[in-house]
Amino acid sequence: MSLLAEGFLSTVALTLLSFAGAFSLGVCVVVLRVVPVPVLRAVGTAYVETFQNVPLLVWLVLFVFGLPEAGITFPLFWTAALVISLYEAAYVAEALRSGVNSVARGQGEAARALGLTTAQSLRHVVVPQALRRVVQPVANIAIALTMATSLAGAVGVVELTRAANRINLDLAQPVLVFAGAGLCYLGLAAGIGALAGLVERRVAH
Amino acid sequence: MGIRLTSLSVLLALVAGCTGGPSGVPGSTSTADQLLAKAPVAGELPAGSTMDKIRKRGELLVGGSLDAPLLSQQNPATGEVSGFDAELSKLLAKYIIGQPRTKLVTATSETREPLLSNGTVDVIFQTYTITPKRAEQVAFAGPYYESGQSIAVVKGHEEIKKPEDLAGKTVIAGANTPSIAAIQKVAPTAKIVEFGSDPECLAALKQGRGDAYVQDQALLIADASLDPELQLVGEPFTTDPYGVGLEHDDAEFKTFVNDWLREIQRSGLWHEAWRGSIGTVVKGEAPVPPAIGSAEGS
Repeated sequence: MSLLAEGFLSTVALTLLSFAGAFSLGVCVVVLRVVPVPVLRAVGTAYVETFQNVPLLVWLVLFVFGLPEAGITFPLFWTAALVISLYEAAYVAEALRSGVNSVARGQGEAARALGLTTAQSLRHVVVPQALRRVVQPVANIAIALTMATSLAGAVGVVELTRAANRINLDLAQPVLVFAGAGLCYLGLAAGIGALAGLVERRVAH
Repeated sequence: MGIRLTSLSVLLALVAGCTGGPSGVPGSTSTADQLLAKAPVAGELPAGSTMDKIRKRGELLVGGSLDAPLLSQQNPATGEVSGFDAELSKLLAKYIIGQPRTKLVTATSETREPLLSNGTVDVIFQTYTITPKRAEQVAFAGPYYESGQSIAVVKGHEEIKKPEDLAGKTVIAGANTPSIAAIQKVAPTAKIVEFGSDPECLAALKQGRGDAYVQDQALLIADASLDPELQLVGEPFTTDPYGVGLEHDDAEFKTFVNDWLREIQRSGLWHEAWRGSIGTVVKGEAPVPPAIGSAEGS
């Protein structure tokens, strides 16, 4: 059963790392998408369209087998964490953008009328309000990200689903083994949901 | 930064989910047709039996693979599935129905037992290694074939000379293949890295993702015949008895399938099916088929 524990920990680590990466990168991308500089906006849009419109599994295979051909070899776990971060960042950016758009236009204008620069008005006025409104959508992305980590099993990472598969090869009890794995995912997702509720209560007024 | 054209094409094949090597699918259709033409058909079937139901249905539902070279691989151009497992399933269909009509349902290691117990498929032909634990869930006819796991390394890597040398090393294996259990048994400290298909495993080996690649010997021989960088280490270090997976409590059907296996072994059809598939890469005469019921769990 240590294999199951190893798989579970790997899934948790992959989720935490990828979400941290996806969130940080997503904030950067959304800034690119809302600043009044056409070139930066184009870069932000291109990023989102590129990563959102190709399946995660394809990205994983491309990075895992493609990067070494270009002379760059990361360990499989880190490659998977990187790819999931890049991919989910596009979704985080879109959720944040809808939050930014929901902040009344007058707020940004007022901030600038008070003498704040674009960066300052984003940082102190628009983004904090936007973040508050997207706690639940971002939590949904975090849950989807948790489930998406199972795809890392296809490129050699032993995470929960892959571990369950390997245990089942021996036990031949798929219903039992995968019900167990399902419960683990359920626990993780419920944890994220509860955390999101907590955060929402803290930041919402 | 130079991306070699060959590597790129391998990559594209991987992305496309295509698992066929450049050699295409071994075993030409015409020899397979000849084989089926002379295959036997069972006589009167007991009314109400599983085989009678299959005959009435006019189609044998087979759980198997579409991506196992030499065993059960789909030709992407024709849609035809060929290989040793595929040929045997067609022979069984002909034996029951009179026509080689099969319907292949893609099975995976985690769906095989439920597919049989809920009646989605009649039989499983999928390098299904007979083990006592599995025999608690399903019944096995056969064994119909015995294979072994072998080790391959990139040429010039001499540190692995025997299976025990895998200890502490990173070993690549096909996901959900008997290789995993074989590695765990011979070298429990080895770190196993799994990839979904044989070309992916090969690419990973050549990119240094592991020190060795463990896979069914026949597949490795086929790989090595196409890839001069690949080298096999010694002889197979396991014996895996493959069985025909059947519903657990259907003793009548199991006896029927075992009788059919004995018949095709006796008539030489078994050997011809082997020559047309695995025999296209493994040199020498067809092996002696395993004795029916010889594996623990069969």
